[in-house]
Amino acid sequence: MRHIPLFILCAAAALAVACAAPKPFAKGNPVLAPAKAFPFPTTVKTLPNGLRVYVVAFDSPGLVAYYSVVRVGSRNEVEPGKSGFAHFFEHMMFRGTARFPTEKYNAAIKAMGADSNAFTSDDMTVYHILAGTSALPTIVNIEADRFQHLEYAEAEFQKEARAVLGEYNKGASNPLQPMVEVLYDNAFVSHAYKHTTIGFLRDIMDMPNQFAYSRQFFDRYYRPDNVTLLVVGDVTADQVLPLIEAHYGSWSAGPARPAIPAEPPQTTEKRATVPWKGASLPMLLIGFHAPAFSATNIDSMALEVLAELVFAERSPLFRRLVLDEQKVEGLDGSVERHVDPNLFTILARVKEKKDLSYVEDTIYKEIARVAAEGVSDKTLAEVVSRTRYAFAGQLSTADKVALVGSEFLALTGDLFAIDETFNLLSRVTVADVKRVAAQYFARENRTVVVLDPETP
Amino acid sequence: MLLSAAILSSLPAARAGEGNNPRLIRLPSPTSPLVTLRVLFQVGAADDVPGKEGLAHLTASMLGEGGTVKRTWSEVLDALYPMAAEIHFYGDKDTFVFASTVHRDNLEAFATLLAEQVLTPRFSAEDFSRIKQDALDGITKTLRGNDDENLGKQALATQIYAGHPYGHPTLGTVAGVAAITLDDVKAFYAEHFAQDRLILGFAGGYPEAFPATYAARFSALPAHGKPRAPLPAAPVRKGMDVLLVGKPSLGNAISIGVPIDVTRGDDDFLPLALAASYLGEHRTFNGVLMLNMRQKRGLNYGDYAYIENFIQDGWTTFPLPNVSRRQQHFEIWLRPVPPASAGFAIREALFETDKLIREGIPAAGFEATRNFLLNYINLWAQDGSRRLGYAIDAAIYGRDIIAELKAHLATMSKDDVDRAIRKHLCTANLVVVVVGDKVKDLAKALAAGSPTPIVYDTKDTPAEVVAEDKVIESYPLPVAKTRITIVPANNLFER
Repeated sequence: MRHIPLFILCAAAALAVACAAPKPFAKGNPVLAPAKAFPFPTTVKTLPNGLRVYVVAFDSPGLVAYYSVVRVGSRNEVEPGKSGFAHFFEHMMFRGTARFPTEKYNAAIKAMGADSNAFTSDDMTVYHILAGTSALPTIVNIEADRFQHLEYAEAEFQKEARAVLGEYNKGASNPLQPMVEVLYDNAFVSHAYKHTTIGFLRDIMDMPNQFAYSRQFFDRYYRPDNVTLLVVGDVTADQVLPLIEAHYGSWSAGPARPAIPAEPPQTTEKRATVPWKGASLPMLLIGFHAPAFSATNIDSMALEVLAELVFAERSPLFRRLVLDEQKVEGLDGSVERHVDPNLFTILARVKEKKDLSYVEDTIYKEIARVAAEGVSDKTLAEVVSRTRYAFAGQLSTADKVALVGSEFLALTGDLFAIDETFNLLSRVTVADVKRVAAQYFARENRTVVVLDPETP
Repeated sequence: MLLSAAILSSLPAARAGEGNNPRLIRLPSPTSPLVTLRVLFQVGAADDVPGKEGLAHLTASMLGEGGTVKRTWSEVLDALYPMAAEIHFYGDKDTFVFASTVHRDNLEAFATLLAEQVLTPRFSAEDFSRIKQDALDGITKTLRGNDDENLGKQALATQIYAGHPYGHPTLGTVAGVAAITLDDVKAFYAEHFAQDRLILGFAGGYPEAFPATYAARFSALPAHGKPRAPLPAAPVRKGMDVLLVGKPSLGNAISIGVPIDVTRGDDDFLPLALAASYLGEHRTFNGVLMLNMRQKRGLNYGDYAYIENFIQDGWTTFPLPNVSRRQQHFEIWLRPVPPASAGFAIREALFETDKLIREGIPAAGFEATRNFLLNYINLWAQDGSRRLGYAIDAAIYGRDIIAELKAHLATMSKDDVDRAIRKHLCTANLVVVVVGDKVKDLAKALAAGSPTPIVYDTKDTPAEVVAEDKVIESYPLPVAKTRITIVPANNLFER
């Protein structure tokens, strides 16, 4: 299959998610929520300190997925020189506490036979452990401890900073890394989406000198009102909630968090070229400013539908460029879900440099055609059908359910936004698709990055 | 027990080539809304015709990404779309598999499409042109220039299996793919895609009668394919070789390996699996290599060890099933390190491996790793698709690796592990591949046998680590000057 994963930048997965202010939930008694697109029995409770906990029953005999979703990502790196810090801090969370120094923490994870890791995106940092259900008390114990009492020495901090540099260097052999870096650096002026999740290389190089800032970062963002726990698997709320209350109950609120600057409208087209020393296909990466994800704003869902209509493998554009003319090896377009307005991105891996302009022009003409002509109701219905089946297909393990859920938690603070999103999808009309195709794809709203390989 | 009971009830009495083909593996889960189909052929890059390296992959691609007699590829994509289904195919040296999971609402329609792909390929000139060009670009552009770590792994395979059917990328070589014609593809398909090389797997919420009905459609394939040539023994290695692949980069990606005479079908696989896990289980943080290289020294992002071909399954940390091989190799994977510390990183990997071979696994490390694996193996096959993949691999190897580990880890001893390590692992005959910038400097240092100290730009490295650094930077690296080769990345995989 020829779709191209666009933003593979972080520890475990590339997710676009967000963290609007959580919707108010009544504190106190657990509420059994209705299940629809997300069909699993779910209990939610918010502790007095603001920590929200979801317990989802899933048929995974003997297994539990324990996700800690922190609503902090590169979106929050608003201070100069601190790009990449949310991701770096994710690494530091594995460096131990007084009760569980690194070796003891690692030994506990090893004894559980757990799959344990974390990832960071623009809008969230997620820590995940998948293990046997009998390990749940230990998991809650060590996770609650490190989220409240993280402690590390400066020497360890510096060594971990160089592991992050290794991660940057690992990704640097893929030309998408510099292309995405240049795209966002050009497309954004004020908002922290200007830099990628892993950060600018110059800031990564300086990370060993940011020990004091790292403590401030922990103090600001690792607080109960900024974290949601999602526990999925062969467990009940009666098993989970008392443990959570006992271990996280004394966690307290922290200082106010910095505001995130709004991005002004883009007024002129921006273009950049990324030279590439070595072999590669030429590539074209285009970003159009697009609205934030919302489970209630029809535009964000209409743009997701448009992405399917224009760029899916069955689309007329894919058929023309990839199958018939064979000028493009891979084509993708998507609007990544974000808390704040981000980009609708298009990527084309072009076989020959001489065709770059033609391919770019053909993409724009196809979007304009959809804006003018729309699509049939049948085609629109097929997009809805595909989206529903694709989502159902993702919910095959406790771990995958938790991963999907963590995205919505970070985006909206609410697991039940999943059902709202699918309700919104069913309300998208052909007129909505035509309108967003006309509204968001103006020349002055786009940034274009071209990969120019030395050996095409 | 995740697998063994289901497998024992599903395995037919006959093995491949003995009649009753194709073999069927069934893992029913009546309440599941999803169904996984796996159509696996015991055909792979090892079956490539000399001079046409890449033929097996190109042929499988024509089935997985080309049209059928009834529908163009575009029409196939159109039909798949509303189902959110994909014909996901991948392959390796000895297998190609078409693996897809669909909602049970769409099972019949999807299964029909998949059967058409495999049984009635269109073999159109348009599909062939596209797929062949994609394969050539995959070698010359993407592999050579877009992924240093994969480049290192592929280059290692060509070195340790030089002159052997495993000795070229599954994708092929530039000259090999260029030489392939559409008639070659048709002939290869007719000779190899036969019932006696086929295993059909079913998992999830399918109707009880579905597997037998579906399998009957595959009687359209020839009963017998071209007899599979016996795989020659892996090249016997004597002494160390270093291949330095020059290309622009920020870091140096390192892969180290050597063939071993053990697969999942052998008793020694189990203690060796424990030893490799102790050295560095894939994408975990507790291995000896990871703790010493990343955590203590900040050398890179990750360091792992393997005793069989390992391909990561998507974004999980677990191995892709159904890339079984008749022969395997030991491999150490060091993720990119700063070029100035590449020599040190190689020496540290050998230092730790030699220590394991020389001293055996520490008693505490043995116990901790055994306990880890006893739980961790429960995570290897979480969903129907992966359970089915493991069940098919069990049928191929004649052993269910998860069930075997469950059964034997509890009684395995440190002595068992130490004996297997000493019998099968030896660093003197390794091949080391380094991909990246400044490899000429590294070649000079290695040829001269001079120390290759780690370069820190961080402070307060603990005294015991600094002391150990002095030992590692001069650790003997038994490579002759004449066996250090530098090659530009753009010259790799030409033929």
